[in-house]
Amino acid sequence: MSIIRPMKDAPERSLPSGSEIARLVVVLLVAVLLQTTVAPHLRLLGAYPDFALIAVVCVALLKGSETGALFGFLTGILTAIALMEPFGLSAFVFVLVGYFAGRYAETADLPAGFAPLLTVFVATLVANVLFAMAQFLLAREVPLGFFLGRVLVPSLVFNTLLAAPLYLLVRAWLRGAGDLRAAARA
Amino acid sequence: MLLLLSVALLTAYFRESDSGVAHSVQGAVLTVVSPLQSGTATATKPFRDAWNWVGDLFSAKSQNKSLKKEVQQLRAGLANELTTQSENDQLRAMLQFQKDHVFPKDVTLVTARVVARSTSAWYSTATINAGSSAGVKVYDAVVNGQGLVGRVTKVNLNAAQVLLVTDQQSFVDAMIEPGDATGNAQGIVSGSVTGDVTLEYVDKNEKVKVGQYVVTSGRNGSVFVRGIPIGVVESVGAQEVELYQSIAVKPFVDFRKLDIVQVITR
Repeated sequence: MSIIRPMKDAPERSLPSGSEIARLVVVLLVAVLLQTTVAPHLRLLGAYPDFALIAVVCVALLKGSETGALFGFLTGILTAIALMEPFGLSAFVFVLVGYFAGRYAETADLPAGFAPLLTVFVATLVANVLFAMAQFLLAREVPLGFFLGRVLVPSLVFNTLLAAPLYLLVRAWLRGAGDLRAAARA
Repeated sequence: MLLLLSVALLTAYFRESDSGVAHSVQGAVLTVVSPLQSGTATATKPFRDAWNWVGDLFSAKSQNKSLKKEVQQLRAGLANELTTQSENDQLRAMLQFQKDHVFPKDVTLVTARVVARSTSAWYSTATINAGSSAGVKVYDAVVNGQGLVGRVTKVNLNAAQVLLVTDQQSFVDAMIEPGDATGNAQGIVSGSVTGDVTLEYVDKNEKVKVGQYVVTSGRNGSVFVRGIPIGVVESVGAQEVELYQSIAVKPFVDFRKLDIVQVITR
């Protein structure tokens, strides 16, 4: 069973309207504020939820690869500003996540309820590996056991658990206007 | 293109000085975002407290056991402590060490609230809502009611980034309290990626015991004033082949619940 359609079958996307942009900006601000002020207090199994990453995936699934990549870039930049961290690293990772999550939504043929969970799971895996590699390149200590046991696995569990409710919230907020799977079926 | 832009920004950020374009843009945007963060932190505090309460409930059972043991140890040490305290007070008066345990006169305390925290496992930083307009400067020490929190690493007009003691790039001049006749054992407290805190570079001939306090030494050139409590010695490991002891320190500060802090500015 093929779950990927050729790229030429992907529905053409138009630029978001002013109203959609306003709604996306609200999602962006809420995600960054949740990530920087609430998430640090929601520790579970040693990990924290990544609201920003989940928001990028949700927007990419609903709005497509281009909007997903741009949303990821802005989320990464704003998160870095809010935490006074170096520009670029989060943006780089979130652009990749946003783009490929969007491409997945544009081309995949999986049940709608399963897609956010799978995408957030894979996005968390990719993002954490990329962040760990960046730390290694910056000559910081990256113990493998710590990374796997205290970072990666708990993050995968936490983020995947939050994926479905947050996806429903974001979809409701964005009014499902860009649900590519629904559009593709129609 | 966005990927290239991200890499270019990352490169520019690391290459430029603190007054560079990327840092300036970050500062300008943060001036707008910081009040939003502060408002969100305040509005969500009841929910965060509720979450922490649930978490505390689960750990209460195991803590109860260790606390009972600790109470027994404290009772046993109380009589000895009273004697030591009396002697200590006299010695302090004689050697005029009393002043070493209050902040110097030229110090000002700036009260601030933690408005954001990094959730990355690789960084232990916090953002506070006090910046250069309140007199906060890079390298200023940050404390709360429990002890040393960290030091300021970046400053904006209305916000500052604090590198927590638990970060793997945090290094603090420290000493063991109380000392013995030869003085206080000195070393450097450093964090780690796992969040564990250790006291390093303590000569293996120094006698360090579990339960002793670790405080800032305030040596010449140190960014920290003397006597800020850091933590308590949790374990001491010494190997014959090593020049220094490996001392695990349990910080006094509960870094999960950071809220109100004070910046020691000079």
